[in-house]
Amino acid sequence: MAAPGPGEYFSVGSHVSCLTCLGQQLQGEVVAFDYQSKMLTLKCASSSGKPNLNDVILINLAYVSDVDIIHDRTETPPPLASLNVSKLANRARTEKEDKLSQAYAISAGVSVEGQQLFQTIHKTIKDCKWQEKNIIVMDDVVISPPYQVDNCRGKEGSALSHVRKIVEKHFRDVESQKSMQRSQAQQTQKDSTLSS
Amino acid sequence: MSMKAGGNRGKPGGGNAAGAAASGAGGSGGGRPNLGRGRHSGKGPAAVIFNGVYANMRMVHVLTSVVGTKCELKVKNGAVYEGVFKTYGPECDLVLDAAHRKSPEPSLGPRKEDIVDSIIFKASDVVVVTFKDVDLNFARKVSSDTDNFTDASVSGRINGEHKEKDLEPWDGGDTHNSDSLESLDTDVSNGWDPNDMFKYNEEKYGVLSTYDSSLSTYTVPLERDDSEEFQKREARAAQLAEEIEASATYKARVALENDERSEEEKYTAVVRGERETHMLSRENKYIPPGQRNREAMSWGAGRQNSPRLGQSSAGASASRPGPHDYSPNSGPDQRVVNGGPPRMSPKSQRTPRAHRVPPSRISSVSTGVDLGSHNPPGEVSAAPPTRSSSSGGTWSSVVSGAHRPRSPRQNNMGRASPGSSSLSSPQTGTAPVETVATLTLASSPAAAASPAPNMVASPSGDAKECRVQETRQSSPSANNDNMKPLDNSPSITRPLCKGPPSMAPDHRKQIDNLKQFSVDFRLQPSSNPDPAFDQMMTKPVRDPSDKPKDLALDKASAVGRDGPEQGAAGLAAGSSGAVPASSSSATATSKPGSPAAPSPSPSAPDQKRGGQDVISQGVQTTATMGGPKHEEKEEKKEAVQDQVRKSTLNPNANEFKPRFNAQPKPANTPTPPRPQGQPSPSIVVQQPPAVYGCFPQMYPLTPVSPGVQKSIIWKSPAVYQVQMPHMAVSQSKPYRTGKVPNMPQQRSDQHHPPGTPTMMHPATAAGPPIVAQNPVYSAQYFTCSPQQFTSQPLVQQMPHYQSQAQHMFSPVMQSSARMMGPPTHGQPGLVSSSTTQYPEQTHTMYVSQGPMPQQYPHPNATLHPHPQHPQPSATPTGQSHQGGPPQHGGPQSHPAASPVQHPQHQQAAAAAAAAAAQALHLSNAPPQQQLYSALAPTPPSMTPNPQSPQASFPSAQQTVYIHPQQVQHGYNPSHMAHVQQVGRCLNVCERPGIRTSNLSAF
Repeated sequence: MAAPGPGEYFSVGSHVSCLTCLGQQLQGEVVAFDYQSKMLTLKCASSSGKPNLNDVILINLAYVSDVDIIHDRTETPPPLASLNVSKLANRARTEKEDKLSQAYAISAGVSVEGQQLFQTIHKTIKDCKWQEKNIIVMDDVVISPPYQVDNCRGKEGSALSHVRKIVEKHFRDVESQKSMQRSQAQQTQKDSTLSS
Repeated sequence: MSMKAGGNRGKPGGGNAAGAAASGAGGSGGGRPNLGRGRHSGKGPAAVIFNGVYANMRMVHVLTSVVGTKCELKVKNGAVYEGVFKTYGPECDLVLDAAHRKSPEPSLGPRKEDIVDSIIFKASDVVVVTFKDVDLNFARKVSSDTDNFTDASVSGRINGEHKEKDLEPWDGGDTHNSDSLESLDTDVSNGWDPNDMFKYNEEKYGVLSTYDSSLSTYTVPLERDDSEEFQKREARAAQLAEEIEASATYKARVALENDERSEEEKYTAVVRGERETHMLSRENKYIPPGQRNREAMSWGAGRQNSPRLGQSSAGASASRPGPHDYSPNSGPDQRVVNGGPPRMSPKSQRTPRAHRVPPSRISSVSTGVDLGSHNPPGEVSAAPPTRSSSSGGTWSSVVSGAHRPRSPRQNNMGRASPGSSSLSSPQTGTAPVETVATLTLASSPAAAASPAPNMVASPSGDAKECRVQETRQSSPSANNDNMKPLDNSPSITRPLCKGPPSMAPDHRKQIDNLKQFSVDFRLQPSSNPDPAFDQMMTKPVRDPSDKPKDLALDKASAVGRDGPEQGAAGLAAGSSGAVPASSSSATATSKPGSPAAPSPSPSAPDQKRGGQDVISQGVQTTATMGGPKHEEKEEKKEAVQDQVRKSTLNPNANEFKPRFNAQPKPANTPTPPRPQGQPSPSIVVQQPPAVYGCFPQMYPLTPVSPGVQKSIIWKSPAVYQVQMPHMAVSQSKPYRTGKVPNMPQQRSDQHHPPGTPTMMHPATAAGPPIVAQNPVYSAQYFTCSPQQFTSQPLVQQMPHYQSQAQHMFSPVMQSSARMMGPPTHGQPGLVSSSTTQYPEQTHTMYVSQGPMPQQYPHPNATLHPHPQHPQPSATPTGQSHQGGPPQHGGPQSHPAASPVQHPQHQQAAAAAAAAAAQALHLSNAPPQQQLYSALAPTPPSMTPNPQSPQASFPSAQQTVYIHPQQVQHGYNPSHMAHVQQVGRCLNVCERPGIRTSNLSAF
């Protein structure tokens, strides 16, 4: 279990692999290690294959065995950039709201397609919410199950036409993603919901 | 020393930078707090502490970077929770918002009822937390150096589909090539006429412009009528327009707009003709006011002449204006008389000024360079300008202050400070004695004598000269050479110093300084009289007591304190027989050193020793002081003595100490431990007194550095005494008398580096000037220290210094008060602090002076160190310097000889000190030796010195080495350069003890 890394310290930037007590093999680049709490943070390539993103793994070395340093890095790690805390706080808040909103919709018995569509629309238009099983966009457009383009109703105008474009593109992207698992170009609108 | 100093420096600096580098414990603190705050508004407190994970900068950074992302958290029992990572605690407890337990089967999502608003997972329960698809640069703030619009950054932030756009070649066709393109070159018209555009759009696209030339959409047409009201308003408008257009600002702005001159002409080009003439005229104008009063005084001229001097001159002028000044001036006048030549030189300087102007510029430049070199890189930049200005002011002010203070405040005080300065020229009776003493001390009487005149004359031009000298000093041999040149051709040097260039700016500064000084002086006198005077009195008393002690040898410092009057009497006697006194003082000092330990000082033995040392110093000083005092005002002395007695008896040690302590403590508190530790441990036995003395001195000096405070108490007396010694030192320095004046100036110019050399010079140059020099030095130091220590709480120091300075130095160093004023001009806080510090330093120096040679080196060393160590380490450096002084400057000078700023200072000082030390050794080698032996715990170095003057150098070197340690210590303590200085003094007295103390402290 308790198997602090060699030297009790992992130099930042070195690559480490370890096996958790739950049988999960983890490998990545050391980003940080806190000796007191035995917490090791690894950075790995994104599991979704997105180039600009990473998976970050926080490991409690108290529950890890077979810690191996694949290769060490001696050079000093790069300086840390200052972080925009308010941005982080906003992200945490919005993520939480999204999840609660989604949970609300799920509780309401909304289909997966509807949830996905909602996420897609929400990316573009923040002003959307669930009303029972209907998606209300900008208090103007109502999308009712099964959430197809034809289900978009509302006052004719730019809003309705815009929402229809989004819905149309959403399902087109979904189809293309199904056909092409990794068409990166379309992933943007497909949402993480699909990929995840 | 440099090594240590460097290390120390590194430490302080490292504290900040390294902190970050370090595991993040220290340095990360800066970043952490932000992170912590960012993380949790609620956890602010935790973040502040930075314990646990919060102390790990990188962990904090990473965890903070993933705040707000979804994560899967596995706990020990294999359950997986998913939620939005909200925050984490110091124990690495994790908080997930909107978390739910993930069911084994891949369901769509949690139901509303499955979600828990927030779950806190203890770190011990967490196995793995996975954050998927995290953009680690999400919250990264774009730093200035990484611009947001590089191809990579832009392409990296493209949202949605992004395809590389296909670039298409442009084919304008033949017609375009022939027509349009060529027409571009030939078409003189400025683009399309709006009407053409409208027409083209209408024809080509069928777009009708809604443009309305009346702009009715944006404004309302003015309705003109013949009504009386409208005409009134129209007239009113016309009047307003006229007024506006007639205003100077309007014209100036219009002129600016229509100015056809190029930027080069306006801002860059050097137009010599007019400016120089102006400068000259200004100089002349300026000079008259200040100089007129003091023309007799070389000071005025010098001040006016030299830019720095200008500042200083401002101070000088201020001093001049002061009634006291005149009385003190009498001293200067006397000096003038004595130094008839000097006066001549001033005059000559005036005439030469035109010539000088260029030189002055040069000198200033050189000084600037010196400063730069002297000061650490970072410090240098800031320091030089400020220093130059402030230092100049301070110097001058100091000098003037010294003179003034003497006359106005207390004869005693004034005497003490003046002793050095005034001794040289002003007060014939005292001056002679002092000079004699200095001469005797210096071992090069002739030199001293000559210097004295020079000094006197130089004051005004001294600054310049000093600067020149400083520049010269910058070069190792420069000091001697400078001295010679100065002595030989004071006028020449002065002219150089007087450089007109600085004059213009300086004049302004001077004026300001003068004003400030005038205010300050007034204030100080008033304020000082009670506390300061008392202190001063006490100080003088102490000094006297010390002197008496020296005289009595066996009399304890306490006795000295108790019997300030006696001491005064002794002093008076000493003054009468200044020479003998000085010589006796040297011997006495040496004697006291040994006796001091046993001596029954009220305070601990250490104190006693310090007292003894002080006494010795005091004796010397007293000798010098006595001369002036006697000459000037015996009555005043008596009164002062009485006051002193009272003050000394009641509050002397206590009050002074408290004051010092209180003042220094805040800033010094950090350092104090070291000093205490030092004194208590090793020092106590052998040289505890010295150490204490040093510390006290240090404190006064260190006011800048808090640590010193404790010691300060002890030292406060010592400091006073020390000051006295300084006087003596300066006297001893008289060798360089010519240089002395220069010294101050140099100091101002070079500030730190020059300071040391100048210090040496001043000391050597003229005992009398020394006082002024001391201030100057202090100013320089201050300036240096402030600059150097800018990082440090200069402001704090300032106040402390000021207060301290006032109390401590007010009597001794009215100049300090003045300095305070000047500092305000240049760098108020800093200057003041610096001034005070300097005085303290000077005190320390004085202390060291007991052993004249040592003192010299010490002063220089201290001064240099301070400058070198400028900021935090300033005090430490000071100590190191002090250590240097103990070394007798020889060592210091040697080390100092190095170009490094510290080294420079030290070197310069060392060089000067060495020279002085040699001279001293030669002349006073025996006494010094004795002193060293007595004072310095380290017999080896001491003994060598005694053996032969040359040997003294080696010893000095040895001491120097020790000093480095001390210096380091000093640095470590809290940049208690001042303290260190004190320490230096102590060192002088008790080098071994100091060393040990330093070691122990470190």
